[in-house]
Amino acid sequence: MKRDAMPAEFAARTWIVGGRVQGVGFRPFVYRLAVAASLCGYVRNRLGQVEIVAQGTQGALDRFAAALLREAPPLARPVIVEVGDCAPGDRTDFRILASDGGAAPSIHLPPDRFCCDDCLRELADRNDRRYRYPFINCTQCGPRYTLISRLPYDRASTSMAGFELCRACRAEYEDPASRRFHAEPLACPACGPALALQVPGHGPLAGNEVALAACVRFLRDGGIVAVKGVGGYHLMVDARNEDAVQRLRQRKHRPHKPLAVMLAHDESTWRREIACDASLEAALRDPARPIVLAPRAAACTFAASVAPQLAEVGVMLAYAPLHHLLLADFGGPLVATSANVSGEPVLTDNREVESRLAAVADAFLHHDRPILRPADDTVVRMIAGRPRPIRIGRGFAPLEMALPQRLSRPTLAVGGHMKNTVALGWESRAVLSPHIGDFCSPRTLAVFERAVSELQALYGVQAKAVAHDTHPGYASTRWARTSGLATVAVPHHRAHASALFAERLGSGHWLVFTWDGVGLGEDGTLWGGEALLGAPGNWRRVATMRPFSLPGGEKAGREPWRSAAALCWETGAQWQADAIVQQAWHKGVNCARTSAVGRLFDAAAAMTGLISSASHEGHAPMLLEAAAVTGAQALSLPLARNANGLWETDWSPLVGLLRDSQQGVPERAGIFHATLARALLDQARAVRAEHGFTVVGLTGGVFQNRLLSERAAALLAGDGFEVALAERVPCNDGGLAFGQLVEAAA
Amino acid sequence: MMEETRILLAHGNGGRLTRELVENVFAVHLANPQLDVGLDAVTLPVAQARIVVTTDGFTVRPLEFPGGDIGALAVHGTVNDLAVAGARPIYMTLNAFIEEGMELAQLQRIAASMGRAAREAEVRVVAGDTKVVPRGEGGGLYLACTGIGERIGTRVPAMERIRDGDVMLVSGPVGDHGIAVLLAREDFGLSGELRSDSASVLPVVEALLQIPGLRFMRDPTRGGLATVANEIARGTGLSAVLEEASIPVRDAVRAVCDMLGYDPLYLACEGRVVAVVAQEDAQAALAACLRLPQGREAALIGRLAPGLAQVTLRTPLGGERMIEELEEDPLPRIC
Repeated sequence: MKRDAMPAEFAARTWIVGGRVQGVGFRPFVYRLAVAASLCGYVRNRLGQVEIVAQGTQGALDRFAAALLREAPPLARPVIVEVGDCAPGDRTDFRILASDGGAAPSIHLPPDRFCCDDCLRELADRNDRRYRYPFINCTQCGPRYTLISRLPYDRASTSMAGFELCRACRAEYEDPASRRFHAEPLACPACGPALALQVPGHGPLAGNEVALAACVRFLRDGGIVAVKGVGGYHLMVDARNEDAVQRLRQRKHRPHKPLAVMLAHDESTWRREIACDASLEAALRDPARPIVLAPRAAACTFAASVAPQLAEVGVMLAYAPLHHLLLADFGGPLVATSANVSGEPVLTDNREVESRLAAVADAFLHHDRPILRPADDTVVRMIAGRPRPIRIGRGFAPLEMALPQRLSRPTLAVGGHMKNTVALGWESRAVLSPHIGDFCSPRTLAVFERAVSELQALYGVQAKAVAHDTHPGYASTRWARTSGLATVAVPHHRAHASALFAERLGSGHWLVFTWDGVGLGEDGTLWGGEALLGAPGNWRRVATMRPFSLPGGEKAGREPWRSAAALCWETGAQWQADAIVQQAWHKGVNCARTSAVGRLFDAAAAMTGLISSASHEGHAPMLLEAAAVTGAQALSLPLARNANGLWETDWSPLVGLLRDSQQGVPERAGIFHATLARALLDQARAVRAEHGFTVVGLTGGVFQNRLLSERAAALLAGDGFEVALAERVPCNDGGLAFGQLVEAAA
Repeated sequence: MMEETRILLAHGNGGRLTRELVENVFAVHLANPQLDVGLDAVTLPVAQARIVVTTDGFTVRPLEFPGGDIGALAVHGTVNDLAVAGARPIYMTLNAFIEEGMELAQLQRIAASMGRAAREAEVRVVAGDTKVVPRGEGGGLYLACTGIGERIGTRVPAMERIRDGDVMLVSGPVGDHGIAVLLAREDFGLSGELRSDSASVLPVVEALLQIPGLRFMRDPTRGGLATVANEIARGTGLSAVLEEASIPVRDAVRAVCDMLGYDPLYLACEGRVVAVVAQEDAQAALAACLRLPQGREAALIGRLAPGLAQVTLRTPLGGERMIEELEEDPLPRIC
């Protein structure tokens, strides 16, 4: 009523906007939005949030309010914290005011961002002063996380501090109407970073065009070039050149693990290479510009050895301006795999990459913008219609998550042993680091320790406690125990379950299947086929798989034949192996008891003859899934209560099937997947008969398998369950750190 | 004479049976001028004031294994602890805890083996005691020994002497003892080819002590080479960088380790020395070992580098692996 009575021209409102609004061009966006709507007032930073005061017509204010969230810059994640009316004043324009001083308790660190359309246009415009400039960026795009040394985010606190802005750039930097207003990594050919190609044994080829042309020549000749990008170096090679790809595999000692391919932005080219539906296309175009696992198109031109024996190949669109130039000049897809020694964090330093990859790369395309912290490419896989994270990295991390309960003290979570990530939690906030690497090498430990200290420094939060896995042999556990912080040991599968529950904003009780390779269980055996019922802080194991003895300790993880032998011997069947292994198995020498479904996949892959020894983690299950027919008929596995009162599925009927050479490998692999999905449903039903719950979660590394996940999800949905799958936090061990925080808070 | 074929509880009661046991078993095999089984204590002539003392207990299953037994092991273990501390062993004491029911014939064999080992190492058993524990309360036989030695020369090898850039040496293949005992314990039936390296390292130590750049020595027993390397890294704050391709491991040991999923770097040795030597003397130290029958397969295996008190194994493919302290109960971590 009051509003109707007032002249519309004099309405004024205030907003406090929180969330990720720093370093993402949010204030210039508000400025442009306000000016376009003919509003007067101001916008300013205030304690890490943004305060807006705007006056104008009611209609203009309503449109402004609606656009504030809907049209926010892609990097921003604004949240309206407060909105209210205020008295209209004698404002005649709209301004960006200087920040309101004081500490910023609500810091949000922006991730790196692919080259935006406006910058791409300028990149291709002969008349633009940044024509073909490999480091073009604006407030809507460019590096962030990988070049910020400290917060608050301004140019002096980035790795661009050493590049003084030229007059033309400074004018844009200071113009609120420019989309480069306070674009901190702002640069142009006159004042910004430049490329240089280093060929071992020769002097550097400096200058953007010279270096690019030489790099393209190397690639055309089948050469391997280490190319410095946003979060690290890639090793690049012509994706269509079988010899060149093989050479890369030999030099990297990576015989089978699939290699990612970078595709030009131009849609017509990549549509020829991959079979792409709308959801997959949307995933490819996601602002994180992730690697998406996609089926090859019939006309796919990639060399077979890019992803040997697999139906899918990891592809990503060019994201940095340098990549756009490189792919356009080269004229075809390029393998772009993380430049590292297997399992280690991606390399970021010009000198280090030259020394460590001297035997791998023929040339190094450097630039002089330092990468302050590594961020590998994010990897997602389409499962049940949505992209599911396999690895979080550039563009995606640091990943901001909400904790369902408040932490009583700032807590660090140090994750697992493989695919390590770390997380920092305080109050109800959690920030998950990008993928760090496998904890086998000293370099992983060094990068891990930096990530731990930098997360705390960047967010201004000092951890008082550390949450870690219960496995005493994990390097992360050892680190936690010597950190001097109070420790919270979180059982592996509880962390998995809680990560999913919190990510999907669960409530009440869920039944969560935590199927993975191996994780230390609460009874001292190795779990990995467990169903947990409850909620964070209150999980109870209710179902499992028949346990078996796995010969050869850690070797079993690399040698699927050991799992096959174990299942055969456990059921009295024959398996040809060295006599000493069978003796060791009989005597229980270095044989761990396990219920892990990941090992059942290994066994199945070995029994069907697909593989004996794996060259990388997940090798056997990937082959088995790729080989499998879809829509196979499931076997029925016996389900009964075991001595501990848990529902236990007996996998033994699978042994005969898997070794039945009368049936083709694709059929056997298909039946195996179908049977496990069916066994999962049977367990869920058995538990439902006794407990009330409707949501069934699927998490743990096994559910990176699409065939199994989709089949299980369909069966569950068909039986009235609601199915929860991860969408932001990886279901594999990369998500453990977040789950550890959720458990620590519960 | 002793008529019993097995140890009775009464063998430990201090009476006739005890006396006969000591006289007919230990005194026979360990006889030397300083050993008087009738005394409770012994007076020893010691030439110098620089005495080195060590003490150690020995439990192993089975008591006898290819390449050795608990008796020889007790002598070698005691002697080697003195040797790597830069001392020449002179005397040792022996406490035997015997389980009721042990076969006397086996005890005779073990005592005889112990006597041989002591004579070879030129160490005299000068005092001892026996106890019998009830059946089921002991693993057949436990031995506890104290060793007394005299310092060789004036230089004392010690952890503090280790410097960045120093080189690590091992006097022979690693893992032999660990695998031989494991295979014998579990009765795998193929232990013949694999023998414990149980031996005195004194000859190797004496040769190494001639090398001016010798910094430090240790015998890689429990926990193996990996544990010694971790002790060195932790003790010096330096990073120990081992070259996987240079570490001597017998093919048969490697094959069994591959099959059973063990890492030879963590398996016990009972006749090896790990030495740290100044870089400029590394080749001389290696040559000194290679000249000896006990050191024929010695190798330079790595170096100390500035770092974070950690052990890194460089693989032949250029990778790097962290070698961590042994967990009590290693469980698989990799999925």
